[in-house]
Order: sequence, then C-alpha cells, then structure tokens
Amino acid sequence: MAEKAEKIETGLAGRHPALWALAFAAAMCAIAYGEYRGLLGGWRSLPFVAVAALLLIPMTKAASNRQAAAGALSPATRRYNQRMLIWSVGYVLCLGTAMTARNYLDPQGALLWAIAILPSVPMVFFVWTLARYVIEEEDEYLRHRQTSAALIGLALVLLAGTLWGFLETFGVAPHIPAWWVVPIWAIGLGLGQAIMASAERRATRP
Amino acid sequence: MKNRLKVLRAERDWSQQDLAERLEVSRQSVNAIETGKYDPSLPLAFRIADLFGMRIEEIFLRD
Repeated sequence: MAEKAEKIETGLAGRHPALWALAFAAAMCAIAYGEYRGLLGGWRSLPFVAVAALLLIPMTKAASNRQAAAGALSPATRRYNQRMLIWSVGYVLCLGTAMTARNYLDPQGALLWAIAILPSVPMVFFVWTLARYVIEEEDEYLRHRQTSAALIGLALVLLAGTLWGFLETFGVAPHIPAWWVVPIWAIGLGLGQAIMASAERRATRP
Repeated sequence: MKNRLKVLRAERDWSQQDLAERLEVSRQSVNAIETGKYDPSLPLAFRIADLFGMRIEEIFLRD
C-alpha cells in the first residue's frame, strides 16, 4: 500500500526530478566537451564524473517526494527508486573506470574483455530491478502504470533503433554505438510516466 | 467503465486517502478508478464491493 500523502518539499529535494536529470545531463555534456577540448580525459575526468553521478541522489529523492505527494509511493516503489539509484551511480562509475582503464592500461586479451564488459554489469541489475518491481508491487494500478511506461520506453528504442539502423545502412547517418539503447529506453520510460501523469490530470479535471 | 465510487465515498465522508487505506491501495489508484482512467481487477472490484456492502454491478456500471 502507498504511504500517506506528503507535502512536496520546498528545498532542493522539492525541485522537479527532471531539473536534476537535466543538471546531470548538462554535467556529463560539460565533461565530454572538456575531454573534446583536451582539458579533461582519462583519470582526470573520473572525479568530475563521480561528482556528476552524485546529482542522481537528489534526483531520486525529488522523484520519491513527488510520488509521495501524489499518493503513489508504495514500499515496492521506494525499493525500486533506491535500487535504480544504486545501479545508475554504479553505471556511471563503471563506465568512467572502464574508459580510463582502456586509455591508460592498454589492456589486451582477457583484461580487455573484462574492461569492455564492466559497464554492462549494472545494466543486468537495471533489468533485474525492473523485474523485481513488477513482482513486488502489490498495488495493481501502480504496477500497470510502470509496465505501461516501460512499454513506451521499449517502443521508443525499437523505433529509434530501426530508423537509425536504416539511416546508417543507406549511408546518410553516422554510426551510433549499440549501448545507446539503455539511455534511449530510460528517456522513453520518463516520457511514458509524463504521458500517464498528464492523462491522469486530464481525467481529474471537472 | 463508469462507477459510483466518488458518490459512495462522499456519502461516508471519506477522502480518497481514507478509501485507499481501507482498500490497502495507493491514493493514486483510487483516483484512477474514480475518474474511469483504470478499471480494477476482479479481486479489487470484489474488495471494493465488500467494503461498501454492495454488489459489484451496483458500483460499476456498463458504459
């Protein structure tokens, strides 16, 4: 059962979670630009990446606050938020570590394989977290809401992947690494939540 | 599907949160059912009917 409705906090955690997500995206873009200009790169980027990853903590707290205020923060949702936060930070750190190790250790053979696989490990737990949520959520409407959002994310990945794949095949678009599927899916998940929240607001209007 | 949940709740002077606690679901679920945005499963519909001491078809109406 969802916890009692709470008043939305007015402090930093009361900000819209999308603002924190944008701040995180902006920080990562700034780091990428710093690397492009040669100001950062390799181990020098790691502290900045770690600090950027910390922005995911207030983002998760802000999301939980809004869910509580909307009467939608069930114990399963709380666990889902915590697990997603852990694996999101883990993904950013694993990715940063793998990139640095590749640039500085000049790995070969099995070590190169291990480093290449490292950023994918948190992704396994992302999928596990979503599966656990669907199993653990006792509130059927919240479960329906989350699975619908996940399907919208999947639809976005399939559409974007197919479109871009054909653009690549016909030589009119540059190659994009396949690991982009997860960020695109996450954007779709957020988009799905926003679409359903909007539909709920419309249904509530007199 | 239309339903009389809002009226039944108002007759008992219950808030959405009160009803959610009695049904052991989220307030958002109650809101989604009341507004016709979501049709509950049969087990939940039976729980709602039991809570109000009515039959399911007295609460949920055909469109």
